[in-house]
Amino acid sequence: MATQLREPDRLSPADLVREDAVHRSVYTDPAIFDLEMKRIFGGAWLYLAHRSEFTEPGDYVVRHMGTQAVILTLGKDGAVHAIFNRCSHRGATLCAFDKGSAPHGHQCPYHGWMFNADGSVRFVPYDKGYGDRLDTSEFGITPVRLEEYRGFLFGNLKGDAAPPLADFLGHMKTSIDDLVDRSPTGELECGPYVLRHYYRANWKMTFENLNDTVHPGFAHAASVVSAKAVANEVGGPDNIVPTVGMMLANGKPIQFFQDIDMVTAPGGHSYIGGHMGADYTPDTSDAYTRSLIEYHGPEKARDVLSVDRHLMLLYPSSFWHARYQTLRILRPVRHDLTEMIGFVFRLKGAPEETYRNAIEYCTGANSAASPVISDDLEIYERCLLGNRFGEREWIPTGRGMDEDRERTNTHDRMPATSEGFIRNQFRAWAQYMGQA
Amino acid sequence: MSDEIRLFVEREARLLDQMRYEEWVGLFLPDARYWVPVSLDQPSPEAGPSHFHDDIQVLMVRTHRLANPRAFGAEPSPRTVHVVSGVTWEEDGDAIVATSSQIMLEYRNRGNFDDDTRLFGGQVTHRLVRREGALRIAHKRIDLINAEGPFNAMLAPL
Repeated sequence: MATQLREPDRLSPADLVREDAVHRSVYTDPAIFDLEMKRIFGGAWLYLAHRSEFTEPGDYVVRHMGTQAVILTLGKDGAVHAIFNRCSHRGATLCAFDKGSAPHGHQCPYHGWMFNADGSVRFVPYDKGYGDRLDTSEFGITPVRLEEYRGFLFGNLKGDAAPPLADFLGHMKTSIDDLVDRSPTGELECGPYVLRHYYRANWKMTFENLNDTVHPGFAHAASVVSAKAVANEVGGPDNIVPTVGMMLANGKPIQFFQDIDMVTAPGGHSYIGGHMGADYTPDTSDAYTRSLIEYHGPEKARDVLSVDRHLMLLYPSSFWHARYQTLRILRPVRHDLTEMIGFVFRLKGAPEETYRNAIEYCTGANSAASPVISDDLEIYERCLLGNRFGEREWIPTGRGMDEDRERTNTHDRMPATSEGFIRNQFRAWAQYMGQA
Repeated sequence: MSDEIRLFVEREARLLDQMRYEEWVGLFLPDARYWVPVSLDQPSPEAGPSHFHDDIQVLMVRTHRLANPRAFGAEPSPRTVHVVSGVTWEEDGDAIVATSSQIMLEYRNRGNFDDDTRLFGGQVTHRLVRREGALRIAHKRIDLINAEGPFNAMLAPL
């Protein structure tokens, strides 16, 4: 373990990332994880919550920014505020639940200190014991800077030093538009039930796996074999349910993915897919399509429906699937422990069936019991085990390096089989990590 | 009849423990559902995502896969033992709704010592109907006490 870096101060991230390789310690070293929490999760805009999760003043949710918990609360002023979930007295966490209602503020269970939605001190019991030593204006809980894009609330721990959210999103804001524009009322509603799984490996494994189109034919081969066997048993592919269809899709030949585009953008973001062909015509016999045409008009509705993107990876913490209205948040817990939290959105005004499809997708894509996900989790954990030993310390990331199809100021385009999205993530990684 | 229902619920769990998956799937009606909600107050599978919300086809794929040597997530296969207790039931029209408390101990040998063993537990609700004299499962719901999760990979049906 000669290159295991134990001194974060002396860490030179540039030494760990090469153009076509990455040093395995980025997955295995707790000191690197600690630095990632400070510099990546402490510097990027992180998706936290959707505006529809708050209706009455006092409604709150608890989310994580890296390893730090924050409370988002709707204030009486009509704005959502974020504060650390930590009493400014003795440090106890204020909220024990993921969500709830605290219309009178958040009260610490220890000595009863109470805080407003924006973190200001509302009330300190027995404050006379402090004489004039307690200036409550100095004991507010630090607020976290929030910005909203089309109902999605993002937080940034750098506060005023952070660039605007729009700069961070860049080209990827079109994938958020893709999600919102699919609503026939322009509104989304975050579903009340979330689906969580975890794995014992590094958080970056998920980022490097979800847009990898070469692994499914191998890692998910058993599901494909089993799905085919069941399809035969029930009389062919026309008779299968969508979940089984999703498993069959993993058996597509690599050429299928070679023909699809991968798009990467500065900041480590990426998505797979693009547009339906020029001759694409929406199916107007479909009730959802008709509702969208009514809202947007036929031309805009066609534009919206012709966007054919799969998962969008918003580095370093969220995964967006517009067509199935599923959004996943990644929560890094330790260098070897990661939680994934899945949310489903209702397109307000769309037929109930649209929501059912989204739920089915989310269950298949984020449940620990999903045959596809359980294979991935096993692979992540095996990679962590294997990267702890052996002579070979560098992991190659050069697949598709000479296959770029287009380079622009805002994004690059390449075959979906390329590892360009991983190289792009590590360019962002090195940039964040290089900023002290 | 009480004995019959208790024995049915126990036998269903035993088939899983013995990995007799074809017989296990055979207990379910063609339009049956197998549901593990993500919250004790989740009213229906249509209200949000689930850990499991399987129809018969997904149950078939799942169990077929457990026997496949390339199912990395199931390599080596999980071994389980169910403890079934407190089976009670009531009639609901033509159906019988049986509830039981169940604990499942699961083991997969991955070389991680005690971490290779996991416990699941909760209340199991079977909706049973009689077809050609035999009890069949129309619906099985498992309310895990930690339904909100998160869970690591779950291979073995609960």
